[in-house]
Formats: sequence, structure tokens, C-alpha cells
Amino acid sequence: MPKDELKKYYDMLELPPDAPLRDIHNSFMRLKKIYSGDSIVLAPLGEEFSEKKRKRVLEQIEEAHLKLLEAKKDAPSRTALLFSDGREPEDGPEMDKIGDGPYTGPSLRKIREKAGVELNEISKELKLRMELLKSLEDEKYEALPEAIYLKVHLKNYASFLGLDPVRVTEEYLRRYQAWKEKTVPAEK
Amino acid sequence: MEMTQTTKVREGEIWAVGGGKGGTGKTFITSSVGTYLAKKGKNVVLVDMDIGGANLHSFFGISRPQKSLTSFFEMGASLSDLVVKTELDNISLISGDVHSIASDKITFSQKLKLFRQIMKLNAQNVIIDLGAGSHYNTLDTFLIADRMIVVLVPEVIAIENMYHFIKNSLFRKVKKTLKEYGFKEIVQHIWDRRQSYGINNIKELIDYLKDSFSYIGTILDHELAAFKVHLVLNMVRNNNDILLGASIKSVMMKYLGVPIQYSGYIEYNDAVWKSVRERKPFMLNYLATGCAKEIEVLVDNIVKGREVSLPGGY
Repeated sequence: MPKDELKKYYDMLELPPDAPLRDIHNSFMRLKKIYSGDSIVLAPLGEEFSEKKRKRVLEQIEEAHLKLLEAKKDAPSRTALLFSDGREPEDGPEMDKIGDGPYTGPSLRKIREKAGVELNEISKELKLRMELLKSLEDEKYEALPEAIYLKVHLKNYASFLGLDPVRVTEEYLRRYQAWKEKTVPAEK
Repeated sequence: MEMTQTTKVREGEIWAVGGGKGGTGKTFITSSVGTYLAKKGKNVVLVDMDIGGANLHSFFGISRPQKSLTSFFEMGASLSDLVVKTELDNISLISGDVHSIASDKITFSQKLKLFRQIMKLNAQNVIIDLGAGSHYNTLDTFLIADRMIVVLVPEVIAIENMYHFIKNSLFRKVKKTLKEYGFKEIVQHIWDRRQSYGINNIKELIDYLKDSFSYIGTILDHELAAFKVHLVLNMVRNNNDILLGASIKSVMMKYLGVPIQYSGYIEYNDAVWKSVRERKPFMLNYLATGCAKEIEVLVDNIVKGREVSLPGGY
């Protein structure tokens, strides 16, 4: 979607450009309530502004919400397109390496950077600490949470980038488990 | 020359506090905002323009002001001679007219003289308490301010009066602007025949003017860009009341095209309400009240152009 158009929709929902999904949702709910019926902020303007105007505003809000959800969905799927089997040819050998091998911390980082996604965007959207995400990409296993939690984070991270969450989680955790068995045999 | 074009000779700022309905706490906001600015070291002069209901002085423990705007209107006294010191540092005031003058009696030339002298007052912050109502003199005073502030309480009549106040201010602003550019009667002319033009409200009037005369469009865009209103919600009791400010902001933009800055809210406070009603010299120990913190946030938001952060994840 062109930037101008996108901005129009953000304006409609009274949000700054690139507001996260959660804000889009909250703002939509809040505005929908105002323009759905007899709110005390609208009633005093009822004489000068027709019912048609109110309905038009409501439609615009709904449209903006839908378009922004689509745009948000599009952003990660762009990356999915890049790294699926139908890879873009000009991305030649390097892409092959990422695509072929198992998902590792560094390969995930490469994919993320290639997609132009900043770590803090993921941090904001998923509500995860930056350090945790860094450790995940650095494979600093000792700084990562227990496997059951890690699994959830990996799944979300993968979905955000439009990757296959099952495959990412499986392959990443395989390496993580191997490290764990090596380092903490004493607990057995 | 029109007053809106008067070049200012000071570096100070004029703030005006209005909003239409009476009893929403305009005088309370004026005096506490002024007191906080003074505490921060600003040199503040408060002006009580609440014609007929002046009581700003009582907030500072002055029961019968020795000087007031009456002298300006009836004896031609100069405004700077009417400034009276308060017991607080950095803050002086010009008392309102407590006797006779009615808003209608003020002549056009008196009004211009008043505005010129307000702009020349020796202060870093002049804060004008406009009082209730949407009389054109009140609106014109509102429009000379660098910061236009409206005070509202969370109830439907107050909201209605505030819309009325802002719509009429906007109408005055459009009229004045076009008058300055030589289109003296056009706005009123079209408005009086609005039915035949299919115009229902001020927004449609402005859109009509812009569409019909492209040069007017440019002028209006430029002048109306400066028409920003700061909203203060007073006497809020819960999160829903606080969210009301955001709803009003939304409606103002989507219906009227007026940008609102939701600058602050003050929680309902029994002690404040009581001392205001009993005309206690409230500001003299203002720091003891529960709402001092909210006033600070409000003023800082106004100065920095920031807005209220909304509760409940909005």
C-alpha cells in the first residue's frame, strides 16, 4: 500500500504511522464506540450534522481498521515470500544457505535483517525484552528462558517474520536441547 | 488595523481560559495554572475578564480589589496601572469589573485598546480568565491568545456549550481573517443564506469557501492552522470521564476539522470545590491541595505540546 494511503488510515484511527497492532485494535474499538450511537460527545452536534455523516465516519473507521490489519499482515508475508521455496533468483547463493540449512540464531537474524525488520519492532509488538531477542539470535542459550517459554517466544518471532513457526521452533530447540544436555548433565 | 494583526512587542505569551459554560472551574484553572507558572519563576499577570462574575481576586485573598477594569472602561485608566500584586511571588492580577459594565456596553475601540494594552503588559505569561458565555467580545479575547484553553466538566450541557463556544470562535476567526483580506461581508452573507447553499455547519461553510475561491482556501488554510485549542477536563471521577477528552478531540477533528490538544485533566476534589465555593484564598496554600500535581502536568503539557496519556491501554 502506498505510504500516503497508509497514513490516511492511521490518521483516521488517530494513530501515529506504524503504530503496533495492539494500538490499531484499541483505537478502533474506542472510536467505534463513539460513532456507533448516542454518545454524549455526538448528541450536541446532532442538529447540524446528519446521521449520514455519522455513518460515513463509522464506515471510514471500519475501512481504516481493515486496511491496516491487511497492511500489517502483508508486512511479514513479504518476508515469507522471499524465503519460501520460490525464492527470488537475484538473492542467489546466500539465500540458498539460509533457506537450506536448519534455522539457527544467526540465520534468523539474517532473515530478519534482510526483511528490514528492526529488533525493537519485534520487541514492541511481541512485548519481549530486547536482551532476550538478542540472546535468541546470538544463541546465548544460558540467557534464555526454559524451553517451554522459549518455544512460545520462538513461535511468535517466526510468525512475525512470516516463517513457518513449527519448523523454526523444532530446529532451533534441537540445538538448544543439545547444548543443555552437554552443560547440565549433573541434574540428571 | 485589525487586532489579530497587531504585532506583539513582548516575548511573553498570552493564554486565555474559556469554554462556554459557567461553573466548570475556569477561574480555578486560571489561578492555579498562573500560580504554578509563577512558582517556576515566570513573571505572571492574571486578567479577570469575567464581566459581571469577576471573582479571581478572591482566590488570592483579596476581597475588595482597590483597582479593577471598571477604571479602564469608565475612566480610561491604562491597563498597566491596574496591575495589583498578590501575596505570592511573581504573580499579579488585574481584577475584573465587579460593578457595572455589561459586555454589550464595551465599544469596539475600547476593545481594541484593551487588546493592545494586554499585549503590552509587562509579563512573561498573561493569563486571561474569560468567564462563561460565548459573547463576541469573549470570543475575540479568546482569539488574541497564543494558547487557547477551554475548560470542561464531564457532563452533556458543558460539552454542548463548549462546542458552541469553539464553533463560534472559529466562525469569528474565519470572518476576521477574510475581512483582513478584503472580503468583508462574504462570510456572513453566505452563512445567512446557508440553506440555499446547502450548508449545515461551520465545517461545510469553510469547505464551501475554500472550494469556491481558491485564493481564500490558501488564506484560510494558513490562518486556521494556528487555530489549536487546548482542552482541560475538570472534576473527573473515573477513567470514563478521562476518556471523554479523547472522544471530544476525535469529534472535533472529524466533524469540525478543529485540532484539539487534550492537555490535562483534574480529578474531582471535595476540598477544592469547598474552598472555591466559600471563596477561600485558595491559591495561598494551593500546594496543599491534592490537584497540584495534575496542574503541573497540565501546564507542562501545554508548554511542550504534549497530551494526556490515556488510561486502559488506549
